[in-house]
Amino acid sequence: MKIELVNPMDWSSVTEQIDIEFGAGTTRNLLGDRAPIFMTKGGSRIFYAVPKDWITELMNASETLDIQFLGKELGSLDKGRFRLSLQIFSEIAEMTESFIIVSQLGAEAFTYGRSIIRESVLELNQSLVRGQRVLVLSENRECLGIATLSVDAAKVTRLRADKLVAKNLVDVGWFIRRLG
Amino acid sequence: MSSKELRQRAKELAKEHGYLQYMIERYLSLWGEENTIRFIEACEQPVRTAIRVNTLKTSVSSVLHRLQAKGVILDEVPWLNNCFYADFKDSSPGALLEHMLGFYYVQGVPSMTAVSVLDPQPDEIVLDLAAAPGGKTTHIAQLLENTGMVMAIEQDRQRMTSLQSNIIRCGATNTVVIRGDARKLDDLPFKPDKILLDAPCSGEGLIPLDPTRKTSKSMADIRFCATREDEMLESAVNVLSEGGSMVYSTCSIAPEENEYIVDGILKQHPEIEVVEIPTKFGTPGYSEPYGVRLSESLTLTRRFLPHLHGTEGFFICKLRKKEAVSE
Repeated sequence: MKIELVNPMDWSSVTEQIDIEFGAGTTRNLLGDRAPIFMTKGGSRIFYAVPKDWITELMNASETLDIQFLGKELGSLDKGRFRLSLQIFSEIAEMTESFIIVSQLGAEAFTYGRSIIRESVLELNQSLVRGQRVLVLSENRECLGIATLSVDAAKVTRLRADKLVAKNLVDVGWFIRRLG
Repeated sequence: MSSKELRQRAKELAKEHGYLQYMIERYLSLWGEENTIRFIEACEQPVRTAIRVNTLKTSVSSVLHRLQAKGVILDEVPWLNNCFYADFKDSSPGALLEHMLGFYYVQGVPSMTAVSVLDPQPDEIVLDLAAAPGGKTTHIAQLLENTGMVMAIEQDRQRMTSLQSNIIRCGATNTVVIRGDARKLDDLPFKPDKILLDAPCSGEGLIPLDPTRKTSKSMADIRFCATREDEMLESAVNVLSEGGSMVYSTCSIAPEENEYIVDGILKQHPEIEVVEIPTKFGTPGYSEPYGVRLSESLTLTRRFLPHLHGTEGFFICKLRKKEAVSE
């Protein structure tokens, strides 16, 4: 696949989407001293953060070589919506307040593709609102995946134990489910 | 034993243990009857599961503590850092949360040893040929401490998926994955300091893991694999930096895929030499298999054999490309 430099408009859309949900400066911290590039796969643009000294050589090489993956995968932009890569979840977890901590039982269910119900929730920042994406952390603060809040955090305590709090978007069990 | 006697005995043993006759003939020639029988018996025993702790994501002590709490029995592999034999009892090694989080990789001891012998150092550029499913790629990334670059080449589209998944799971951020033929490396953007060629092979060392291998491959298959291995190694030594080193390995026990291939390269490339592997494991490779005299330096290579080491069969050779002497 051909490697391309990121158009500033696209990049600002990516930055905005990440920073709105996970805090200002998250994208900049994720990049560190790397530069963003992208490759087009199907209808999506897959974004990667790569060391700056790789770029020229790899862009030239991508004219003849079939490069499939490089550096740190940030995520994909499809129809204006940016989907984060599993590769950066644990890094973001160290920078953001947008997370939900779940019990051991909830963690296990989540890694089997299940969503999060009220009785599994151990900690949730009260300022988070319905529709927002949050990282799902275990009791040991390991990042298990990402989910969308189905309810404002402030209203969670009013829910019954078996009511949905956050819908599973992607979880680390994907590695097993994908590879069999 | 005369040729006629050897054939007769091979026929009997092959019939008794469910092997193709040509395989037993070769084992008898290489090792004699006693060791051949020990090999056959060892191939019926399970190979111990092993894991590599992924220090890109966690620490050894943390993983040991967590796995032991789940009843996993761990035992250090003496010659390898961060690698353990692991008895998972009734659990599936791939189904634990620690695995999903990329804290460890389930990998054969010989495969881990091959990367350890390559000895990647931070900031180096390392080429990993036929890289899927990514055990060695992620191990190299780990030893590079996510610096430098691992160029991972894989041709098979299906296996590319597992390669990329494992890179993501293990948190390797210094890889470039290229889909392509490991025999065509002319357009690589960077000159590698080190190369790992764990070549696709006939898998004759995998009988303890896959009993169907006793009958699934003919001598023609071995010759086919040997030709491809020869082409891959030729291509690899051509792109290796002067002064650089590489590891050639296979999970085959066939000298035709191992010592013969390296011997051919040594004859074609005087700038390439076999170098000693300082780590103590396995047994020396053969310099005179089936009575065919090859380079004496092939005794510096190492072999894992099921009946001697309790692992799958494996071959590891470390090569160095001498620096050109300026006029």
